[in-house]
Amino acid sequence: MQTRRIGALAVVAVILTGACSSAATTAPASAAAPGGSAAASGKTVTIGVDLPLSGGEFANGDPTKKGVQLAVDQANANGGVGGYKILLSIKDDAVNGVHNPQQGATNVQSLVADPSVIGVVGPFNSNVGAAEIPITNQAGLLQCSPANTNPGLTKPQYGALQIRKAFPNRINYIRVATTDDIQGLAGAEFAYKDLGKRRAYVVDDTETYGKGLADVFVKQFTALGGTVIKEDGAPATTTDYTPLLTAVQGQNPDVVYFGGVTATGGGLLRKQMAQVGMGNLAFGGGDGIVDGPGNVQGSFIKVAGAAAANSFGTIAATHDIPNASAFADAYQKAYGEQPGAYSASAYACTQVILQALQAVAGNTPQSGLREAVRAYATNPSNKFNTQLGTISFDQNGDTSQHIISFYKTDMSADGGVGNWVFVRQQDFGTSGSSASPAASQ
Amino acid sequence: MQMQRSIQLPARLEGGPYRLIGAIAVSLVVAYVLVGPQQFSNFLTIGAIYALIALGYTMVYGIIELINFAHGDIFGLGAFVALWLLTMGGFNGAINNPVELAVVLVALFLLTMGIMGLVGVAIERFAYRPLRNAPRLAPLITAIGVSFILENIMQAFFGPSPVNSPQIFTLNARFDIAGASIGYLNVFIVLVAVALMIGLQLFVGRTRLGRAMRSTAQDREAAELMGVNIDQTIAITFFIGSALAGAGGIVWALYFGYAVFNQGFYAGLFAFTAAVLGGIGNTTGAALGGFFIGFVYVAAAQFGYSRWFEVFIFGILVLVLVFRPTGLLGQQLGERA
Amino acid sequence: MSGRAARRVPLLDRLRDASSSHRSISSIVTMALVTALLPIVATFPPFSGFNPQSVWVNSFADAGVYVLLALGLNIVVGLAGLLDLGYAAFFAIGAYTYAYGASPFSGNDFPFWGMLLVGAFVAAMFGLLLGAPTLRLRGDYLAIVTLGFGEIVPTVFLNADRYTKGTNGISGVYLPSLLGYQFQFTDPWPFYVTMAVIITVAIIAIFRLQESRLGRAWMAIREDELAAASNGVNTVSTKLLAFALGASTAGLGGVFVASKLSFVSPDQFGFTVSFTVLAMVVLGGMGNIWGVGAGAFIIFIIQTVILKQLNAFLAGTPLSGIDFLQYQYLLYGLALVAMMLLRPEGLFPSARRRRELHAAEEAEEPTAPTGALEGAGQ
Repeated sequence: MQTRRIGALAVVAVILTGACSSAATTAPASAAAPGGSAAASGKTVTIGVDLPLSGGEFANGDPTKKGVQLAVDQANANGGVGGYKILLSIKDDAVNGVHNPQQGATNVQSLVADPSVIGVVGPFNSNVGAAEIPITNQAGLLQCSPANTNPGLTKPQYGALQIRKAFPNRINYIRVATTDDIQGLAGAEFAYKDLGKRRAYVVDDTETYGKGLADVFVKQFTALGGTVIKEDGAPATTTDYTPLLTAVQGQNPDVVYFGGVTATGGGLLRKQMAQVGMGNLAFGGGDGIVDGPGNVQGSFIKVAGAAAANSFGTIAATHDIPNASAFADAYQKAYGEQPGAYSASAYACTQVILQALQAVAGNTPQSGLREAVRAYATNPSNKFNTQLGTISFDQNGDTSQHIISFYKTDMSADGGVGNWVFVRQQDFGTSGSSASPAASQ
Repeated sequence: MQMQRSIQLPARLEGGPYRLIGAIAVSLVVAYVLVGPQQFSNFLTIGAIYALIALGYTMVYGIIELINFAHGDIFGLGAFVALWLLTMGGFNGAINNPVELAVVLVALFLLTMGIMGLVGVAIERFAYRPLRNAPRLAPLITAIGVSFILENIMQAFFGPSPVNSPQIFTLNARFDIAGASIGYLNVFIVLVAVALMIGLQLFVGRTRLGRAMRSTAQDREAAELMGVNIDQTIAITFFIGSALAGAGGIVWALYFGYAVFNQGFYAGLFAFTAAVLGGIGNTTGAALGGFFIGFVYVAAAQFGYSRWFEVFIFGILVLVLVFRPTGLLGQQLGERA
Repeated sequence: MSGRAARRVPLLDRLRDASSSHRSISSIVTMALVTALLPIVATFPPFSGFNPQSVWVNSFADAGVYVLLALGLNIVVGLAGLLDLGYAAFFAIGAYTYAYGASPFSGNDFPFWGMLLVGAFVAAMFGLLLGAPTLRLRGDYLAIVTLGFGEIVPTVFLNADRYTKGTNGISGVYLPSLLGYQFQFTDPWPFYVTMAVIITVAIIAIFRLQESRLGRAWMAIREDELAAASNGVNTVSTKLLAFALGASTAGLGGVFVASKLSFVSPDQFGFTVSFTVLAMVVLGGMGNIWGVGAGAFIIFIIQTVILKQLNAFLAGTPLSGIDFLQYQYLLYGLALVAMMLLRPEGLFPSARRRRELHAAEEAEEPTAPTGALEGAGQ
């Protein structure tokens, strides 16, 4: 009896593995990006993408993935890069609809094992990054994250050397987003100095990005002389913010700062503020809520509706990028929707990888491309022309770009649908990382 | 054990209904003093929604002993159906004419609750009925599967982000009382919930179908021998439970003005907790449990411990069950039970 | 492959009929064969085109964690009949125990092998902690308390950030080393073999438990607690031991996953993990140790390999325009419903259990004995 069952187990295992592997033969072809003319030589390299692409996190992952896809499609349409046609290998790191470090690790294992992969765009979530970087570091595979902001992933004083333990001095992980400490700091400066606010109520979404942002905001706002009435945590599953708001209503806050993204409650919190009669207060957040005009499904302005007025947000990029609207137009044309909050960052990451490829492809054999691309991209003296401006990466892989642009909502913009309008920008170059070394612990 | 399965009525509670009503009144006063009038209104509103969901949970459990994990998603789907109906009806803001508002609301409740009831019946027919004599955990797993299916369908139709719902109730129609500003919508939600609960009690207690439900819950075989159509009775239970969850979805869409595809999962989890807290199978207990969870949530927010809300909820649950292993209003069971 | 399985039959049959020590040998032989065959199967032409062998081996090692979890939950749900919806809590406790025992965060560097035992022990202690107040609870009341425990534990790890680094998680957790050999991120083989050994030991232990006095007591409680008690079974210690031993198995899985990922964070241990493991146990065939292991392996591969690769699988077919990544939930849900409708007793129901089921069906008619402990099936 038992042996028959063991046999059955074995047979099932074989059938299953067989089922997957028949998929295998077609995998490379299908992973190819659609469109674009192949490079004349027919040589290809692959860029890996690792993002959460299912469940609720699809809202974050999908526009980010499309940013990569757009850059690759454009490059292929121009005849490829350095004689290579670019393919994409897209991996989903969400399991049961939630980003999953273990799945992320599995995904990069398979990207590492594919010799045609010269770089990876991703991950989206810092926790997934913490599980992936040790693997790609050991393998020497370049990873560029469009969204990770946790300083612990790069900065030695936050323990990053433990994450890139195999080769602490061989940087392989870069990111185009500034760390939490700079954006939270900028938000506090803006609320206190520009808006003249003195009493803040701070809510975070209890996730890495949001908590990090909120903690730095609290620290800096207090240091400037402001009062933080209360710092609450509302997990992404929170749907009813009215009790939180009612609790602080009597203490007369004049600004509410949210650490998190629209998908973890930014828009709903703003909407419910209006509902309890706090709609006139200023509302602020990081780049997670500066996610496009009111006609984008799931954007802050769309979710909050009319209540989105009088909100401010920060973006870790210069505003005066030449051709900024060209990207949005191309994205709109390709996908019939406005870019998401991290589409441009993902596009920039892809640009970095492609420009590194362009630079090294001429004098590197295909087998050496992965290491050459990694070495070129992480060399602090190399500059990249990206959608986020001209950037390079420091000795830890963090972006050299520390300019923060401030935006406010204008509900009459874009013909009445509402959009974020530029206010000013400021270089937090040195003050950012030094002013709050204990951020995001 | 037989008693545990039954849908119980308050009249059969130990000490009679007066003791219960007294206890509720005292609890309300304590709650009011603790959190103040404004939060009191918040807690009654969110509690009413949890209570509506918990009723369906407890009814289904009472009659077929299934933890219907898909029930929370029926609530989520109900919010989407209400949202969709309102959008299709061309509404995009407050309706100021009270007569028109009343007509629209009645139509909205009838349609949404009817649709959700039928969805519930269909789920029972295809996912649970074939497993009625299977091992206990088999339908539990299909319930989880159905929950995933419903969520994915909602996501496919409405996208992964919150979708705005027309709020036909004017949000700034409020009145001031005891230093608090209470929305008429909050009052409406609590009244609707209480009316539906009373209606449910009357239906279960006074009607022929209600008697069939109770007898099926107590002893399915005996009920069948007495001429009760078991399949039909179970289907009606699912219809009513799902319609109540649908009503929860409607008031959700009216109050919060949005719906999102996975809102049902956590709401369902808390509603299940509410049902157990009240004594699973007991409809009055489920309603009280729903209000209680609403209160814990509001109190945690009021005192700055919103991060720890779930720890409080489940911590209290453990404490209650340690002292009353069958929930607040559950029957005291003998050892064999 | 099937030929090889067929040749093993007489040998294993003889082994199975022998005493329990032979049972251990047959478990070792089976596990050794499976462990050796899986990577070999992965290198054959259709398979090798999909993922290189090392990636397959990495997935197998990860799948092993869930096999271990399912085996542990099977003790609680399948053998003792106590419905546990918060099993991921013990998984989390095992993982954090290792993160405290061997990471720069704590400054400790205890060896992995010792920490396996410590993690199992700590998880077992929490199993007792959970079990003690819930002893009086029946069936689904127990289910909700365990579900609550499963939510409380990650919430505490998330919010007690001074002690756990909160949402950032603890990174840089040390990889195992053995006799001077340091495990590497890019080499999954040592992890795979380690996992295979852990599973083998767990399977042997569980078989022995199942056939021991304790195992019989569990089954007696599952069937009828009152009758068991009146026949001299100490229901208190018996149930507590089920919780503790089930939890300790999850603790082993937690230690392993923390050391392999080199990272722990609260969001790895949500209730979806508990539900997934429960689905694995039920689908595999509750109470059947090999069946539960196979169920876990199959579901893990469906979730993390097949559903993730459907886009590639269907490329070039008329369906290639659909982004199947978006329908993973739907397909997974449909698979769960379909498998349960087709095989309500699980894919590999245990012979003993099937007998019980049919006996129960006959016995059930007059009395409808839906005792609280039927949490795990009538």
